[in-house]
Amino acid sequence: MIVKKLIEKIEGEAELDFSFSEGRIEDVRINFGFYRGIEEILVGKAPRDALVITPRVCGICNHAHLIAAVRAIENGYENAGTPIEISNKAKSIREFTLACELIQNHTKWFYMTILPQLEKLLGIQSGENHALKASYLSSTITKALAIFAGQWPHSSYAVPGGVACDPTYVDVMQAESLLDESIRFFEQMIAGLPLEEYLEIESASSLHRIGGDLGNVLHQMGVNGMSQMGYSHDRFIAFGECLFFKPGKSLATTVSNVDARYVEEARQEGSTAKAVSYKQRLYEVGPLARAMVGKEPIIKSLHKRYKDSLLTRVFARIHEIALLLAYNKKLLRNLTLDEPSCTIIGHDIKVPDATGTGVVEAARGSLIHRTTITEGVIEKYEIIVPTQWNLSHGNEEEKGVAVEAMVGSATTEEASFIFRTFDVCSVCTTQ
Amino acid sequence: MGMDRQESVKSLFTAQSAKVDTNKGDSYYENLYAQCRARLDDLKKLAPLNNRMDFRQSIEEEGVDRRDFLKWASATTAMLMLPASFTPLVAEAAVLMNRLPVIWIELQDCAGNTEALIRSDGPKIDEIILDIISLEFNETLMAASGHQAEKQLEDAVEHFKGKYLLFVEGSVPLGIDGYYGTIGAEGETFIDHLQRLAKDAAAVVAVGSCATFGGIPAAAPNPTDAKGVMEVVKGKPIINIPACPANPSNMVGVILHYVLTGSIPELDSLLRPKFAFGYRIHDNCERRAHFDAGEFVEEWGDAGAKNNFCLYKVGCKGPMTFNNCSIIRYNEGVNWPVGVGRGCIGCSEPDFWDKYAYERPMADANIKAPTGGVEKTVDEFGLGLLTAAGIGIAIHAAASVAAGKKESEKENA
Repeated sequence: MIVKKLIEKIEGEAELDFSFSEGRIEDVRINFGFYRGIEEILVGKAPRDALVITPRVCGICNHAHLIAAVRAIENGYENAGTPIEISNKAKSIREFTLACELIQNHTKWFYMTILPQLEKLLGIQSGENHALKASYLSSTITKALAIFAGQWPHSSYAVPGGVACDPTYVDVMQAESLLDESIRFFEQMIAGLPLEEYLEIESASSLHRIGGDLGNVLHQMGVNGMSQMGYSHDRFIAFGECLFFKPGKSLATTVSNVDARYVEEARQEGSTAKAVSYKQRLYEVGPLARAMVGKEPIIKSLHKRYKDSLLTRVFARIHEIALLLAYNKKLLRNLTLDEPSCTIIGHDIKVPDATGTGVVEAARGSLIHRTTITEGVIEKYEIIVPTQWNLSHGNEEEKGVAVEAMVGSATTEEASFIFRTFDVCSVCTTQ
Repeated sequence: MGMDRQESVKSLFTAQSAKVDTNKGDSYYENLYAQCRARLDDLKKLAPLNNRMDFRQSIEEEGVDRRDFLKWASATTAMLMLPASFTPLVAEAAVLMNRLPVIWIELQDCAGNTEALIRSDGPKIDEIILDIISLEFNETLMAASGHQAEKQLEDAVEHFKGKYLLFVEGSVPLGIDGYYGTIGAEGETFIDHLQRLAKDAAAVVAVGSCATFGGIPAAAPNPTDAKGVMEVVKGKPIINIPACPANPSNMVGVILHYVLTGSIPELDSLLRPKFAFGYRIHDNCERRAHFDAGEFVEEWGDAGAKNNFCLYKVGCKGPMTFNNCSIIRYNEGVNWPVGVGRGCIGCSEPDFWDKYAYERPMADANIKAPTGGVEKTVDEFGLGLLTAAGIGIAIHAAASVAAGKKESEKENA
């Protein structure tokens, strides 16, 4: 029996075709009815046009696309033998703004997807307006982002060589006050305890100290068996060297090195989304993957107890908000404004004929841009987005990451909730 | 430089199309005031739709006091280019926004406008207002999903036949019979979906550059044959609110104008509301003085950049771009692209994705001369910087010939 179900309340929409066997889901087919052809559009354009076009792939992780695009061009210069130096100040500003984007994303996902859908699934009627909470924190933190980036979504202040902005101390103070307000929100609404105390929690046995909306969600998930469902392959990968994230892959909790050159894309029959694998194997990407690769204590402790369950996956994403808030605080404190914002490359110097790769950790996981420039124009442009990793159909040996997590569910409602915990972005996936 | 400097500046600011008529005389405004008054009194008699929040109550919940609200009302009155005496009416109209049914659909988009609108952007009160307007259907906001949501949409169309405003986000792909974009469980194509819903709308509002002009999906070679709404919807009043993303203040402005007057605002030749797109970025730019003084950023990271000089030479499209970002700015007025030294990419103009993208200085870009003919660079025309800015206006002036008709149509909307 096949049951079709339309999944909304993600970025874009997806259609899931569930196959049941003996009352349990045994396979899921994920379809997207959407295509724009961004990679095709980039062909033949000036290399730097990617800086304006690629962010518009996605309204929610646009800034990550901008950083991946600018890194790809800078890497192209480097591969052509003319490395460009980026000042610490420019690096820090790019990191600060990227972290802000991750924070807004995770917050919206928590309040606009997870909380309402969990309540719906469990039949809870809280009567709370979660959307207003999401809007408060995300608008506060994107204001901090806009101080350096000019606007969000679709900012374009990052240029090869650094950043276009030249902030003053007043700007930094303004950003700091917005950041403090965001921290206050996290403490009062999300975690119910001071950020410092929250960050001291390193063991699953101390999770009960967490209050607020997160505490509530953890409690609901715990008592409803969600620490024992939604398991996938328990294989994780991250490529981006940014923020406090490190590249690597985690297999059976052993972390080893990775090289983005071994990432392969393949067309999937009947889908506008391409599959992606690393040395022919499927991996999960995203906050849980980053925490496993980076050996984040509380996530390791949770994983030891509950493996890659729904509970672990949901917690890892919200936990990242706390880490990013603390990291941003540090970045602002150490920002040296007297350094140059941008290394002068010179307008007349064309982007060289070269291949460049830009990798960044976006909200949903590793984002890779590859640009091939020939005779001054883009010959080929590849955008490999996080959701492709998690939603690939899989192969004969094993099912895709999200599909594996849904298999075994008794209802489509439960499976759809599991699907949403991957923070799916269909507009990125199909482009 | 071909033209005398002073003369060219003068011609820049006396060109007809670059001016918005902000004073139409006492009798015009007296009539309009009476019309608005009657309209609001009629709306008051209607019950609020669909159990939306009460505006006053939600203002209190959000901790915005009455004084802030009135400040917002007077700023919005000015934005709509109405005399200050209209402020109480604008405030009243805001409260009555829950009498107006709005259906919002997303087509070939990145969800960036929805992001900008309901989740992360816009002055605080604008944001609350968007909670208040009676969004009879918006996938992201509504509680229902799947078949239930589709049913709700059908019901709204039936119930508010001929009365609702249809907001459209995203372009319309026409390639392979429209199958590059489908919606809902039945897999209806975007084009069918749009035409079905537009048929019974009072007016269609295209939000963002994709819905207005095709946007990034329409960039060469336009793989999916993406079009803007005005190219596929005929026989309906259409309002375009371009920019990538569109500014939430302008979306609110259009709705408010409709609540207040019962008609769509005055439009330019590209069907953009004049209150928002009646002047160029350049006209009110905070770096304008540096342009006039000939002080430019030559390259990012240079001394000019540190001194916030004009960004024209690093490709700013402010002189050719009609929009009010230099006044309204983005993210609750925190900043905008020129503020961070990046310059304008002309995202509210047609074809920005092919013509204006990135840093090509206008001096190197191919544009048409005011007299038409083949595209050449400004340098090839032998024009200096100031007159290059004038071309933007001239292009607009030529296109504005058709605008008069549009302006008279709106009265009947």
